[in-house]
Amino acid sequence: MSKLKIERVAVRNLRHLSRDYYSMCLGPWPKGCRSKPGQFVHVGLPESDIFFRRALSIAWVDPDRDESHFIFKVFGRGIRLLSRCNKGDEVELLGPLGVPFKMPKKNETCLLIGGGVGFPPLYFLAYRMIEKGRDPRTIEFFYGGRTSEEIVERTRLRKLGVKFRPVTDDGSFGEQGLVTEAVTRYLDSTPPRNPRIYSCGPAPMLRATDELARRYDIPGQVSLEAPMPCGFGVCLGCVVPLRAGGNARVCTEGPVFEIGEVLL
Amino acid sequence: MTPDLKVKLGSVELNNPIMTASGCCGYGEELAQAFPLSRLGALVTKSITREPRLGHPSPRTVEAASGMLNAIGLANVGLDCFISDKVPFLEKQDTTIVVNVAGSSIGDYVEVCARLNDVPRVDMIEVNISCPNVKEGGIEIGTDPTMTEKTIAEVRRVFSRPIIAKLTPNVTDISVVARAAEAGGADILSLINTLVGTSIDFNTWRPRLTNNRGGLSGPAIKPVALAAVDRVYQSTNLPLIGIGGIASAMDVVEFMLVGATAVQIGTSLFKDPQGPVNIVRDLKEYLKQRNLSSVTKLIGQVRKY
Repeated sequence: MSKLKIERVAVRNLRHLSRDYYSMCLGPWPKGCRSKPGQFVHVGLPESDIFFRRALSIAWVDPDRDESHFIFKVFGRGIRLLSRCNKGDEVELLGPLGVPFKMPKKNETCLLIGGGVGFPPLYFLAYRMIEKGRDPRTIEFFYGGRTSEEIVERTRLRKLGVKFRPVTDDGSFGEQGLVTEAVTRYLDSTPPRNPRIYSCGPAPMLRATDELARRYDIPGQVSLEAPMPCGFGVCLGCVVPLRAGGNARVCTEGPVFEIGEVLL
Repeated sequence: MTPDLKVKLGSVELNNPIMTASGCCGYGEELAQAFPLSRLGALVTKSITREPRLGHPSPRTVEAASGMLNAIGLANVGLDCFISDKVPFLEKQDTTIVVNVAGSSIGDYVEVCARLNDVPRVDMIEVNISCPNVKEGGIEIGTDPTMTEKTIAEVRRVFSRPIIAKLTPNVTDISVVARAAEAGGADILSLINTLVGTSIDFNTWRPRLTNNRGGLSGPAIKPVALAAVDRVYQSTNLPLIGIGGIASAMDVVEFMLVGATAVQIGTSLFKDPQGPVNIVRDLKEYLKQRNLSSVTKLIGQVRKY
């Protein structure tokens, strides 16, 4: 009955991917399977002195097994403790929360631009679009990281059949440079038909994506991250300034915003 | 025997002693998705100011050990929008409605309270003379007994229903300000607002809040709040509302034993939006086990050494 209720869900699997990256599977969780790409859950540790839950993007869901999958990067003590959970441990969940990505029109080429831990919601988006019948070859998946180790879950991504375009700062995997530089090169060399951008990643990358999209006049959306005490719109701790004036709550009006909507 | 949870704050009777704390439940709409607001003793809105306020830029919250720091900066829709857009929702709620009021001058407080006096659904006002995050008004008033008395007295002139004065702990002796608020004509005192604090990023050497400092709340401040309620209970005759890190029925019991008639749930609402409902249930159970017919039998009953 109640939309805002903390649930306790078991960790089915928790696996170290590389460096600070982990993959986690939670279930059974019927509500999770109804989540849409771009939405997030607020995850907390029961009986812990870590006061707040953390927002984690959903990477994909498996309704047959009633489970939801996440990929997260450790920074700070709260997430570190989460990474130490064992199979069978319970976490507290609120969600799914937030506004999802808008699905593209049929004739659009999707440019997914992800950096580091911005990968999961974009993976979920690609996964869902393909599930709904989109030709994977109309999805250009730009995925940037500092080094090769930050490009996680490559096999899974390749399996989708999207055009996988890895980019690393040090050139240890894929193109060398910044992910937005790779996107610019792509747009200049092979301008796609009816492009639409979806992006998620660190703030400097989102800023560059936003500028690039407006320079090339490409519509699309960005997914933001912000410290989020409540997750359901009451604390006003996660607001971002809007170009048109005023603030928006990342947890409630976001985390997905239109390109150009937010002053990044 | 079902224990009686009703308590009286001045002339207003609450269904139970559990209120929400200002700034932790907006204007009630979001929390209504968690449970029917009729389950609350009272709902306290976010601070309302004469003009709308965006508040401080992000980051304006940061986690602290067993709590959080915030410097939201009184972001709110402003008085006009509150009355036109938010009151209609509140009018439909079957609970006591308390509107928290803030201002940057005594004139601001008076203007807002005078307008709210004409909104019958506003059962009480809570005067925020203790916000640590704004330059003028707020804590500037609440740390000065003379200004406190004056502000409450001016508001008293224009608001005919019960007035709660919300006190700051950022003073040497909170009972001095409590007595000043009582002298000014407050009917009820609520305490404590947040404790001034900050947090610095050791990598960037910058404060983790754009306001450079904020207010500490959550379980971390509960011992301070309990001692403050205890102190004020000894020195005034007004009913008290305890605030500070309350997250369970046992916390409520502690606050009532040192003299609180009611309590407000703040930061822990973020952690569990269903918290107030569970607290009411557990409080009832506690009273049953103790064979107490009414929750009021707890008030001020601490057995001191």
